[in-house]
Amino acid sequence: MKRLSSPIVTLVAFAAGSAIAPWFVGDRGVSLLSEGLLMLAMAQLWNLLAGYTGLVSMGLQCFVGLGGYTTIFASNYFSISPYWALSLAPIVCGLIGGVSAVFLFRLRDAYFSISTWVFSEVIAVVVLMTPGLGYVTGMTLETARGIDFETFLLVNFWITAAIAGASVLGIYLLMHSRLGLSMTSVRDDEIAATSIGVNVWCNRFIAYVAAAAGCGLAGGVSFMGALFITVTTAFDLNWVVAMIFIVIIGGIGTLEGPIIGTVIYYGIRELFTGVFALSGTWYLIALGTVAVITMLIAPAGIWPLIRDRFAIEWLSVKRKVPYLYACEADATRKSPIPHEQSYFV
Amino acid sequence: MWVGTIINGVLLGGLYGLFGVGLALVFGVTRIINIMHGEFIALSAFIALGIAMLSPQMHPLLLIVPVVVISFGLGYALQAMFVNRAMRLPDPLAPLLLTFGLSVIVRNLMVELFGVNPRSIHQSDFAQLSINPFGIPIGVLPLATLALAALLFVALQFVLRRTEIGRIVRATADNSEVVRLMGVRPSSVYNIVMGLSFALAGIAGLMLALRTTFTPFSGVERLLISFEVVVLGGLGSFWGAMLGGIVLGVAQLVGLRLNPNSGFLYGNLVFFAFVMLRPNGLFGVRQ
Repeated sequence: MKRLSSPIVTLVAFAAGSAIAPWFVGDRGVSLLSEGLLMLAMAQLWNLLAGYTGLVSMGLQCFVGLGGYTTIFASNYFSISPYWALSLAPIVCGLIGGVSAVFLFRLRDAYFSISTWVFSEVIAVVVLMTPGLGYVTGMTLETARGIDFETFLLVNFWITAAIAGASVLGIYLLMHSRLGLSMTSVRDDEIAATSIGVNVWCNRFIAYVAAAAGCGLAGGVSFMGALFITVTTAFDLNWVVAMIFIVIIGGIGTLEGPIIGTVIYYGIRELFTGVFALSGTWYLIALGTVAVITMLIAPAGIWPLIRDRFAIEWLSVKRKVPYLYACEADATRKSPIPHEQSYFV
Repeated sequence: MWVGTIINGVLLGGLYGLFGVGLALVFGVTRIINIMHGEFIALSAFIALGIAMLSPQMHPLLLIVPVVVISFGLGYALQAMFVNRAMRLPDPLAPLLLTFGLSVIVRNLMVELFGVNPRSIHQSDFAQLSINPFGIPIGVLPLATLALAALLFVALQFVLRRTEIGRIVRATADNSEVVRLMGVRPSSVYNIVMGLSFALAGIAGLMLALRTTFTPFSGVERLLISFEVVVLGGLGSFWGAMLGGIVLGVAQLVGLRLNPNSGFLYGNLVFFAFVMLRPNGLFGVRQ
């Protein structure tokens, strides 16, 4: 059970930390943490698609926006609490994600990536032209009028923390399951995966719908917290750009990578716009520079570099070949493969 | 009036084709999705503006020569200094993020240097000239853009099909390992290809700058159109890019006539219809 200990410690520490954090970091800290944790969850979902199933989407902002619109529209229209409306966001986004996947999965690689982006643009214009969704002026969360703002912020933060924790835990458990194994096999070699009986389409479909629903939920929470939504902010390409940046900088196909990537992403922002008090332009230039430098020294990302340098494991989704355990048990037999070696599956 | 709309759509398609062709060239040879392409276009517009301010008497179309030379040098240098280093891994996402990082840097440096106010090139009255052949007003500049695009496509096709360097580029695109055995260094080929791509984007940027006002964000706003042109035509196919551009240009102008608030919606819908019917693009190879 050694493999499970470090994730459990992480989970308990994270849960305890986020339970008490609001009393230590102040309002500014809470909103920054909320933003970062939501982005972490979305980055993990992008990573689930690109890093574990080989689907490079440039259109996840579509579901962020749809989740936000679903939450605010449903809450206003049915006059229900935004928390109830929030539960509709992943359902709507999962459905739309599922239907769009049927068409988008006909396309491969770069065709798929560009088409997901185009799909998002189409949805954005459709939302913009649909009556009842506020057109260019957007919508305000009207049911939030009587709400006690202090409690609202606090509850939002805890929902956010729960989503972030669930995304990491969920993907960890998924990757140690049979389904996760077949997903990675699809990424590594589609033909080989098919030949051993893995249903490639089905695996990708599950991952895509999960990512759509998850991004919808994250978008719902984000715009519920903002109390306001417009098409330009909701379907902003920068959502997916941030996800891609965070995942690739941190290390694609790892759970730890997006965590490190998120810290770097928001760290740079706070450093440049807060500490140095520079304009947003210089912050973006710094971000670009970090991306360029990282890709030149560590194209696989920062976490793999640290992991291999110091030989540490944290939330590893590596699997060990069963044969090696057999070798360890039977010490007298000479292993043809070195014991320390483990394999990505 | 519909005939006029369609003719103007075809002419606009020439510009879109120009946006896409450099991207198609880079993708065809290096397999890189070059996010920097939009910044190439915007930067070239500013380079053209700078030259136009230095020599106000120059005919706007003559600006092509210095813009192409400078752009080629910049593209060559960027590839040699940065992108080649990120291409060592087989993973295509490293170069993608690298070009993304460079594009963010270039775009925001342009904001710092030139500001965000819309600029334009006031070079004689060339942009306002129009002819009236069948009672349909047609701008000379869009016509020149389409003609130039067609000329460049023919020239590019000729270079790639009939010349020594073209053979080397095609061989590198097919198998970068085997060309090493023939004494070709793939990274040098990539440098030239990126230079050419930047030069083509430079021409597109110049045409854009002559046609309308521009800001440092003019490139990134047109990045999606450039990608759609390339995907629609079939990745790496130049004639496909040209045809893709025309399809999108016509779809956009017809759509705007139907509903002035639709923006690029109809272009996007037509894009979808086409890729669903032909998942590898109009001229793409079936895999």
